[in-house]
Amino acid sequence: MRTFRLAIVENDEDERFFMSEAFKASGEFEILGEFGNGDQLTDWLHGSPKQLPELVLSDLNMPGKNGYDIIDELKITHPGIAVFATSTSSVLTTREKCIRAGAKDFIAKPDIFIAYDSFVTEFYQLACRYLGG
Amino acid sequence: MHLNSNLIFHNLADGVFLLDETGRITNCNAAASAITGFEESEIEGKPFYTIGDGQDDPIKYRYELDQARKKNKFVAEGWKLRKDRTRYWAETSYSPVYDESEQLAGFCVLVRDISEQKERQSDLLESEERYRLMVEAVRDYSIFMLDPEGNVLTWNDGGMLIHGYAESEILGKHFSIFYPSADQLDEKPKKKLHVARDEGSYREEGWRVKKDGSLFWASVVLTALFNDRNALIGYSKVTSDLTGRLKDEEVLRQSEARYRSLVEQVGDYGIFMLDTKGRIISWNEGARRIKGYSAEDVIGKYFSIFYPEEDIINGKPAWELKVARATGKYEEEGWRLRKDGSRFWANIVITAVYDTEGRLSGFSKVTRDLTERKMSEQALQESSDKYRQLVAELSVTNSELSSVNRELEQFTAIVSHDLKEPVRTVRSFLHLMDQHVGQQKFDLLKSSIGKGVLAAQRMHDLIDNLLHYSQISKIGLQRQKLRVEEVIGEAIQNLNDAVEQSGAQIRVESDVSFIYGDRVQLVQLFQNLLANALKFTNGNSPEVTVKSWMENGNVRFVVEDNGIGISPDHLEKIFEIFRRLHFAHQYPGYGVGLAVCKKVVERHRGTIWAESVQGKGASFHILLPKI
Repeated sequence: MRTFRLAIVENDEDERFFMSEAFKASGEFEILGEFGNGDQLTDWLHGSPKQLPELVLSDLNMPGKNGYDIIDELKITHPGIAVFATSTSSVLTTREKCIRAGAKDFIAKPDIFIAYDSFVTEFYQLACRYLGG
Repeated sequence: MHLNSNLIFHNLADGVFLLDETGRITNCNAAASAITGFEESEIEGKPFYTIGDGQDDPIKYRYELDQARKKNKFVAEGWKLRKDRTRYWAETSYSPVYDESEQLAGFCVLVRDISEQKERQSDLLESEERYRLMVEAVRDYSIFMLDPEGNVLTWNDGGMLIHGYAESEILGKHFSIFYPSADQLDEKPKKKLHVARDEGSYREEGWRVKKDGSLFWASVVLTALFNDRNALIGYSKVTSDLTGRLKDEEVLRQSEARYRSLVEQVGDYGIFMLDTKGRIISWNEGARRIKGYSAEDVIGKYFSIFYPEEDIINGKPAWELKVARATGKYEEEGWRLRKDGSRFWANIVITAVYDTEGRLSGFSKVTRDLTERKMSEQALQESSDKYRQLVAELSVTNSELSSVNRELEQFTAIVSHDLKEPVRTVRSFLHLMDQHVGQQKFDLLKSSIGKGVLAAQRMHDLIDNLLHYSQISKIGLQRQKLRVEEVIGEAIQNLNDAVEQSGAQIRVESDVSFIYGDRVQLVQLFQNLLANALKFTNGNSPEVTVKSWMENGNVRFVVEDNGIGISPDHLEKIFEIFRRLHFAHQYPGYGVGLAVCKKVVERHRGTIWAESVQGKGASFHILLPKI
């Protein structure tokens, strides 16, 4: 079973904590970095990290560079990295907007951030589908 | 001296030959020698034909002598040759001579040279012949002679062509056969001969009959002919066929009639003629329909009756004729009057009409009633204007709807993202606390409760801000004249605490005294901009300048600070609602302030933008229309 190298971008610290806990618990992901917004992510990427992530999971609504900015920027600077967007919004247009902008897919956040297990399962399946198991 | 027969014989002026009973010349006198050129001795004993025509024709002479014997006298005319072979025209009279016993003794032949006389005669004949040929060859006129009773004596080609008779058919016939039977019963032919006889000639135009019975319109000249003794010897008659000319005239008449009836029946155009003075001399159906006058009403009237009073006072009708006369044509559109006094919008063309010698003979006037067309054009124009207005209104409504729709979308996004987030956070901590309680981890409860309270507070603030934002677009603008200094002063006043805390220097350099707008909203605008200037600093005391000046009829405001500045990527994004560039722990806020500023400026039909060099402060620029 393959694991994916992942970077997480989420401005809410508590949310990010539970999120990364769930990913780590699954054993299917190797988290290379956790960032509070797009500025922090791109700073890290431009700093030539030893390993680049295969996947970026990004919240949309963040101060500074938000999720849309990340989709736009990585499309050009790191086209090899698959960006997945996530948000509390379950509005259909949000998903469409992300995919149109260049995101691989969009996954709605769970109702409460202490219940990320099923989110991680779904995300893994999506990752396998797009990047190959 | 005795007058004896021998003496007489020799002195006779006419040439005399005496022949014996066989026709030989016995002797001749001097006159005979003079005529023939032969001496008596040269022809004595020779046959008489010696002095003939040179043909030596004994048979003919024998015959002539026999005739003389039978009839006691015989006269012959003919050419004879003189001795020198020249010709002369001779009249030869033979008389037989008998002796006492009534036996033929010989002949006495009288020869006269009548060449000159004959020549005159032949000249006359030739001349007559020339005339005859000429007359006979005339084909366009029938020319013939009548005897005093009216019988046809001569005929020519023209007669054959016009009347249809050949010469052999008509010679000797009475000329009344050329007349229609009614004229014959009237004895018209006879009367006409009498007129010609009494007055020398008679001319007329009238119907005549051809051989085939058809009629033709003839011009006839009958001339009485008198000889030198003034006796009537007949008539000459010259006839020409005018049917062709008549046909041309008829064609012309018919064509004129066709045009007249065409013009008269035209219903959509008023077409009529004016004389040179502008009086109406013809009228048509269209004119009747358009103007309401009948022909009897207007013929002879001056055409100004169709013009409104002011045109008449201005002398317009006469002026129009003057233009038409000078340039050939006058054309215009304008109001004209009907008989009942109502107006119609007319298109008129007045054209000067000239006769064949180029003299002005009047004017034609063509009038069209364009009232309906004008009305429908106007109606079309009005409805087009109405549609254009409607389109404009729809376009405005559409853009308003689009903008409302955009706001609604934005609102949906806001509710789904920004308001849902804190609720979810509160729920999450409540669930977490439930877990803590279940796991008896009471020491962890405090932190979760604290975070839940903060999230609830945050949601409360977000809702407040959102309401504030949405109210700007809902409440109507209270436009009034405002002192710029007062507006900015009030904004600074509201930020008093922040100004004191930060130790900020705020300078106001306003060249503009007044603006028009909503007091509350404009104060809010400057308050938000100034609050940002005080907030986004690197810890240095803020230095803020507010300037204003007139620029192309607009008022330009600039709020300039010495703060952290804005990266070029974000210069536009900062005006989006809930858009924040910084984490709350660095620079607290909700991402609403500049969105409110943008909304206020747009409601005042202005524009707002930011300029910045990163790290060297930012400036916010506003253009507002003066009024």
